[in-house]
Amino acid sequence: MKERWQFLIILALGVAFLVVFRQTEPTGYQMGLMMRCMILMIVTIGLNILIGHAGLVSLGQAALYGLGAYVAAWLAVKQGMQFLPAVAAGIIATAIFGAILAYPTVRVRGVYLAVITIAFGLVFQNILVEWLSVTGGTQGLIGIPRGNVFGISLTRPIYFWVVAGCLILAFIVQYNIIHSRYGRAMRATAQSENAAKALGINLAGTRTLAFVISAALAGLAGGLYTFLNLFVNYETFTFFHSVSFLLMVILGGTGSLAGPLIGTSILVYIAEILQDLQEWQILAYGVLLAVVMFVMPRGIVGTAGELYARLTTKPRARETQAWPNRSVPLADIHGEGTERGQLVLKTDGLTLRFGGLTAVDNVKLEVSSGTVHALIGPNGAGKSSVLNLISGFYTPTSGTIAFFGNSIAGHPSYELARRGIARTFQNTELFGQMNVLENVLVGFHAHYRNTLFETLFRLPRFGHEERRFLAQAHQLLNFVGLSDYAEEEARNLPFGHQRRLEIARALALRPKLLLLDEPAAGLTHGEIEDLKALIRLLADNGVTVILVEHHVEMVMTVSDHVTVLDYGRVIASGSAAQVQDNPQVIEAYFGTGGAEFARQHAVAAAK
Amino acid sequence: MGEILQYLLTGLSIGGIYALVALGFYIMWEATKAANFTHGDVYMFGAVVCVVLVERGFPLLIAAAMAMVAAAAVGALIERLLVRPFNKEPNAIGWMLTTIAIGIVIESTATITYGPLGRPLASPLAERPIRFGGAGIYPQELLLPIVAILATIALELFYRRTTLGRAMRAVAVNPTAAGLMGINPFRIAMIAYALAAAIGALAGILIAPVVQATPTMGALIGLKAFGVAIVAGIANARGVVIVGICYGVIEKFIEAYISTGARNAVGFTLMILALLLFPQGIFGRREVVKV
Repeated sequence: MKERWQFLIILALGVAFLVVFRQTEPTGYQMGLMMRCMILMIVTIGLNILIGHAGLVSLGQAALYGLGAYVAAWLAVKQGMQFLPAVAAGIIATAIFGAILAYPTVRVRGVYLAVITIAFGLVFQNILVEWLSVTGGTQGLIGIPRGNVFGISLTRPIYFWVVAGCLILAFIVQYNIIHSRYGRAMRATAQSENAAKALGINLAGTRTLAFVISAALAGLAGGLYTFLNLFVNYETFTFFHSVSFLLMVILGGTGSLAGPLIGTSILVYIAEILQDLQEWQILAYGVLLAVVMFVMPRGIVGTAGELYARLTTKPRARETQAWPNRSVPLADIHGEGTERGQLVLKTDGLTLRFGGLTAVDNVKLEVSSGTVHALIGPNGAGKSSVLNLISGFYTPTSGTIAFFGNSIAGHPSYELARRGIARTFQNTELFGQMNVLENVLVGFHAHYRNTLFETLFRLPRFGHEERRFLAQAHQLLNFVGLSDYAEEEARNLPFGHQRRLEIARALALRPKLLLLDEPAAGLTHGEIEDLKALIRLLADNGVTVILVEHHVEMVMTVSDHVTVLDYGRVIASGSAAQVQDNPQVIEAYFGTGGAEFARQHAVAAAK
Repeated sequence: MGEILQYLLTGLSIGGIYALVALGFYIMWEATKAANFTHGDVYMFGAVVCVVLVERGFPLLIAAAMAMVAAAAVGALIERLLVRPFNKEPNAIGWMLTTIAIGIVIESTATITYGPLGRPLASPLAERPIRFGGAGIYPQELLLPIVAILATIALELFYRRTTLGRAMRAVAVNPTAAGLMGINPFRIAMIAYALAAAIGALAGILIAPVVQATPTMGALIGLKAFGVAIVAGIANARGVVIVGICYGVIEKFIEAYISTGARNAVGFTLMILALLLFPQGIFGRREVVKV
């Protein structure tokens, strides 16, 4: 809600500023400068979505901007195309290139991606200079006719509002994307790939979307630039410009709404001042870049926000409620359970090898619905590997995994999550910089049905779904007793609360099968008691649970069925009591002679 | 035949530059999982300082050594001031921007003080070309790939045989654990950046007698060398140097058989394709992520 007000206020202030600016009768030079600034803002808004939300760094944004400009210019000059179709073609061309550039992000990130985008930018520039017949070489394309829309000539005063309208549109698109499941998915993939996958988010699709949106905005800006300048030249689209775009975004504050607007205005203004410095201009630019990074590593908006938060937040007493909160009707939370007695999961001959090491060896499991099935065994027995196989993080070397009778071996984890397999992680994987509520909302990702189009234009279904899942997320937080922490960043939670949040987030998926990887590790005695109650409650409500755990007492009390692994092989399987007395199990845990030791120990304990 | 040999020889020489600059990227990356993004400007810095010192009357070898020491100091400063504070969390990108900033500063300072035009550096090895078959090349140019290979061997020996080298490898694998063993990863990082800068400066000094030293000589070389290091997988020195030398040769053949103008477009496209085929780099190891 707070963000929504910020958005509306910035929008209102921006429009008011533009209206006032037009009233002051600016000179032609000032008009040109303002329009150029607005066009650059469209580029940086797109780049902000990419860097600030999807966590992907592009150092080739100027080339995408240039691509939009050259496509529009070429169509206008050589094909006599009108303003609207020429700009639209520019947008489509850059969006396609954005998708192509996004392809490598399926597998590479960070600095690898930076190199690919740099290389793309340099290739683009090289082509602009060398492909004389199309691009006009170093001279560029000149003589672009002034734009014309439905018979109205786009003279400068009119064009000013065309550009302003596009900027406002870009700003609204930014808000609508980042405050939707798409934006949440982008932040989730940036902060924890594993958790995102486990919640049904398609990483490649999400990153491609971010790239395409940022490229399309760059293409739009390029087209607008063409019809403002009326000639295009390669010098506007160099690597140096890509760096400037990055600087604008970071100076303003990545991930913030107003950041790109502020960063762009300041740098455009500074560049104007620096022009008088001639040869010192670039030096001053470099020094400025370094100084900004030193003084405000989180950018203007980020730093101001921190200051504001420090001044205004008062320490507030927050109460942690008991969990599981039985007053919350479970039926509302996890929806469909499964009928009792169904075979939920069946593995046969499941084997996983890493090189010469066999981590999982010919494992056979049968898990029926509404039961708690524990996997125990000494360290390195292959318990977590089995979970990773079931949740699609690893592909089995051989063997089958059937989920409700359908083979799922080797399917991608996001797809399995959508089918109803949820999991938690040994080393809790939360989206640290998102708040607690948002973490749970990401869990609902797979249940949203509204399309990108509905999200962008805020059609009714978007609102319905958003409100419904928001209410359910609050209910889940209530269920795990974290209602008071909804606005807190997840990374600030104490450890036990992080565990609760992770389970709440997994429940948001409405799992048919819930995989818990050492949920008790690091918890206090009291917290473990709560956890036991929760697991039982879930199983009694039809959620099937597979539990990997070292805490033997807990395993023995909550489990309906226990499978013991050692060196990747199943050495015992049965009810808790059966397994406890199995000599092989005792030997695996205590070594040879362990059986005798355990017996004496039991006798001593009985006394 | 003579022609092909000529392309091969000049290619090897250019490739030697890429290899040496890329080697610097590799050394920095190992120590910090970051790098001086504009390492190419350190290469330029070495050449320019050496030219200036020779003009002031220093003998060539002394001037070269002084230029390398100066570059090493710059490298260490860059690590301390511009990389370390901006590389605190995984996937940080601050260091990219700060080192781009320092690159801009170095390059424009050079333009202002040294002047935009190239100046020659006299070297006894660049006076008379040697001829093989129909091809001719200055001994100075042949020095580059040879030095690149020697530097790789020396670096591998240093990493394997010396205590400091082993400490650097330990930091590369796990800085936290290395820290617990009493190795100061920050000191290692500074040494790595100084070493990388000295090697980069050496490359600049070696090529200066052939191409003349200009303030803009480093920018594109640096970007290409970074690409080379990444394509190689930035995982071992040998791979980086092999890809560097090959890239130089490939460029020459593109110039010869396609066109000079297409050199960068085709070369960079090849880089992109290589990364698509080998997302972890050609010699890179795929990291198994434990969940």
